[in-house]
Amino acid sequence: MAHLRETSDKALKLLRTLPRVQIGNLRPNPNSKQNDKRGRAQHGGDKHGAGNKGSGQRQNFMRLGYETGNQPFYMRFPYEPYYKGHHMKRQYPPISLLQLQVLIDTNRIDVSQPVDISTLCNSGLLNLKPAEMEYGFQLTDEGLDNFKAKINIEVQHANEAVIAAIERNGGVIRTAYYDPRSLHMLSNAKKWFEKGVPIPNRMMPPQDALDYYTDAKNRGYLANPEEISKDRLVLAQKYGYQLPRIEDDPSFAMLSAAKDPRQVFYGLEPGWLINVVDKTIVRRKK
Amino acid sequence: MLKNILGKSRQVWTPLARGLSKTSTQSNVAAESVVTASTTKPATLILPQDYAECAPLNRNATRQAWIENTDAVAERKVGLIELHPDVFAAQPRVDVIQENVEWQRKYRYVSMANTKTRAEVRGGGRKPWPQKGMGRARHGSIRSPLFKGGGVVHGPRSPTTHFYMLPFYKRVMGLTSTLSVKLAQDDLHIIENVDIPTKDAQFIKDIIAERNWGLSVLIVDKDFMFPENICYATDELGYVNLMPAFGLNVYSMLKHDTLVLTVDAVKHLEQRLLYQLHRNDATSKGGKFKLDQV
Repeated sequence: MAHLRETSDKALKLLRTLPRVQIGNLRPNPNSKQNDKRGRAQHGGDKHGAGNKGSGQRQNFMRLGYETGNQPFYMRFPYEPYYKGHHMKRQYPPISLLQLQVLIDTNRIDVSQPVDISTLCNSGLLNLKPAEMEYGFQLTDEGLDNFKAKINIEVQHANEAVIAAIERNGGVIRTAYYDPRSLHMLSNAKKWFEKGVPIPNRMMPPQDALDYYTDAKNRGYLANPEEISKDRLVLAQKYGYQLPRIEDDPSFAMLSAAKDPRQVFYGLEPGWLINVVDKTIVRRKK
Repeated sequence: MLKNILGKSRQVWTPLARGLSKTSTQSNVAAESVVTASTTKPATLILPQDYAECAPLNRNATRQAWIENTDAVAERKVGLIELHPDVFAAQPRVDVIQENVEWQRKYRYVSMANTKTRAEVRGGGRKPWPQKGMGRARHGSIRSPLFKGGGVVHGPRSPTTHFYMLPFYKRVMGLTSTLSVKLAQDDLHIIENVDIPTKDAQFIKDIIAERNWGLSVLIVDKDFMFPENICYATDELGYVNLMPAFGLNVYSMLKHDTLVLTVDAVKHLEQRLLYQLHRNDATSKGGKFKLDQV
């Protein structure tokens, strides 16, 4: 950006010596406008750049994969269902630890609060499309050495190195499943609250995701908490760092905050109603 | 030379001025009257910029401007205002200014040019002569495009709209660029308020002549209700126009040679433009006008 700062100052200084910028002396950047006229003769006439005869001129190109009569490559072998059910598979768009650190450094994310999907989406730089089978974010290990923040984060997928990087700084990470409807609510919470519908329950994970989210190694939200605290120590020994005691941390309450498996938003229970206009919460009767 | 003096004296007056501004930043007139309760000569009005709220992109490009009086024809410096560099010393993208001007011309333009096709031209239903045996070319209608007085192929059809939306940040950049250009070319003047003492148009003419304001002048205030005097005084003058800050646009700024902003308008514009430059949901602003969407 440094060059931009200097050039803007130079350009403004130059403008002081130039005639007044007016409607009459403005024009677009050279070559920025495409001429949609079909030139004649020496102005691009003759064949108009399409060559002489054949596919180029008539635009009748061969279909993709066609080998002028040979058995095409894509038909040469028997059926192998590489992509069977591909459109049904859950996707987890990646965010790296580097990206996360940048978001924190530029005040897009408040680390004094637990971080979840809605925090990431509210940063304005990340978005989630549950309709396109995106089931949340996975945290990847790029920028792992430079990650310095102490956060309580909830993502949908994370590997061992990422978990170690977060726990080394005294942070807490948890992987949790959200059903598409909950994801839709979290990805644009304000818009959803404006509908004026009570917050529904979060669904439990499907059968094939259950193993992942009940495993303490993945810090799954359905895993046994005692196993998780044991595995935190095991991981610290494996990666060779001193595990900070979060019980002694001044922000212990924030670091230990976790949602109920049926809960979608932090601090809001299923069945509650948010009035965005009056900024009030309508709670359920006991 | 003036800039040097300002630069040197900045450290001296800034702390004092910051203290002063905390009591009343917006209503500068009130602050003035409080300060000058004991003395007859009004104290100078110094409005520093609070960089803590919005750190500028370029910290070296500070911009200050004099605040001029409006109570008399003779020019008097009432005070000094520090302008935010992101708004008043932005990169002068003349190409983006041009794009804004073109957009402002086009988005409201509906072309009414129209031609008739062979079906719409009167007559031509009957076959002009038999298909064979005449020794003439075969034709089915005298209104065919081949005929003189026939229909037009691929001619303009009305109404044709030329509406499109310029991308959000280009619109913001157009405003900051134009303001920066105006300031850089000394075509931007800042006045304390729009309360002129008379309804006479001659007063405005005299002020323009006295202060070397350009041929045409655009006066902008924050409020859309202008005082009675200035309305009467500028009503007859076609080359002096009044505009509220929310209506400020690139085309009008360029159409007038000189731009005159009140202090309130400057503060309002800075606040709004800095908000637009720093908002994080700007991607949602263009979605409605995206072309080729299903």
